[in-house]
Amino acid sequence: MAALRAAGAALLRPGRGEAVARLGYHKKVVDHYENPRNVGSLDRNAKNVGTGLVGAPACGDVMKLQVEVDENGRIVDARFKTFGCGSAIASSSLATEWVKGKTVDEALKIKNTDIAKELCLPPVKLHCSMLAEDAIKAALADYKLKQDPNKEESEKKANNA
Amino acid sequence: MQAALRQRLGRVRWALRVSEAAPRPRCVGPGSPAALRCWSCGSPLPGAEGLPRFCPGCRALQPPAPRPDLFRLMDCDRSFRIDAQQLQRRFRSLQRAVHPDRFGRRPPKEQYYSEQHSSLINKAYQTLLNPLSRGLYLLELSGVEPAQETDCDADSVFLTEIMEINEKLAEPKNEDILEEIETLIKVKQEELTKEVTAAFERDDLQEAKKLLAKMKYFANLEDKLKNKKIPS
Repeated sequence: MAALRAAGAALLRPGRGEAVARLGYHKKVVDHYENPRNVGSLDRNAKNVGTGLVGAPACGDVMKLQVEVDENGRIVDARFKTFGCGSAIASSSLATEWVKGKTVDEALKIKNTDIAKELCLPPVKLHCSMLAEDAIKAALADYKLKQDPNKEESEKKANNA
Repeated sequence: MQAALRQRLGRVRWALRVSEAAPRPRCVGPGSPAALRCWSCGSPLPGAEGLPRFCPGCRALQPPAPRPDLFRLMDCDRSFRIDAQQLQRRFRSLQRAVHPDRFGRRPPKEQYYSEQHSSLINKAYQTLLNPLSRGLYLLELSGVEPAQETDCDADSVFLTEIMEINEKLAEPKNEDILEEIETLIKVKQEELTKEVTAAFERDDLQEAKKLLAKMKYFANLEDKLKNKKIPS
């Protein structure tokens, strides 16, 4: 048991030697890390599901965020899967909580600064909240593309041209 | 690791500014910085700036330059292609000269300098030996910032691949799968190293930057794999 706890603590530590490791995480980050909300996947091929897959080249973290939208344009479900540090996991967990119940346009207004503020992220971890914002945007863009096949067609043509 | 690298790269940027400003004169005229005299006996110090040096008068080890060029320190051409054996020989010969074990009976100040030299040489060796850190260091020397912005759908095939390997690694430990992933990562790293070499050789720094960002994802996976393999 003690070994398990030690392993958990080690996982919580981000890139070895970073300032955050010394300062420790805010309890909100730890809470999301230990009880992540909405982990998992939605059907990537469903027409009303948007998938955003983003990565942070500076640290090699990857984050997948998916939204399920009802016929009224409201986000009814959201899931995430993040392989990264505690802050990245907490940021995406919080992001899924926040987008649920919002319309697509409302969700687009979520800013990384709001996420960082809510989780009290230190400056060196701001990019984790940025990753979450980019994941929301990518998921919503994917959803919009699926709703508008004409646009998709024209974009495909543009890409092939 | 990242913090250490950033710190290292920060230093590099500084070194670049200094070395580009003007080539350092070999002979030092009057009015030169006091740092060019021996800390122990005050004799003027000839010789190469940025390399470990001893006072010609009293043989005291001099402090390391604040931000030396690591390629120069390790006697390598400033290139992505390096000779790992030559690098290792240089590393050993430098450590033989400055290692703290040799300074046990010297004054505390000199012991301290030897520790600084020794740790700098370790860092230089590791930075140049590892293709990812060597590439990032070269980019930094060329004034190119490493990739910071989020990678998006532009390369979703690549990100999906990284995601899938991460998912496999997160599953309960299975030796066969771990071995499979290890081989895959090794192959990918070798391919990328070749591509980075080619990019640097045609001086395509933006392409090198993109490829190094990809290498970072695999380096990250490699770390996770190692952690998983160590029985806890």
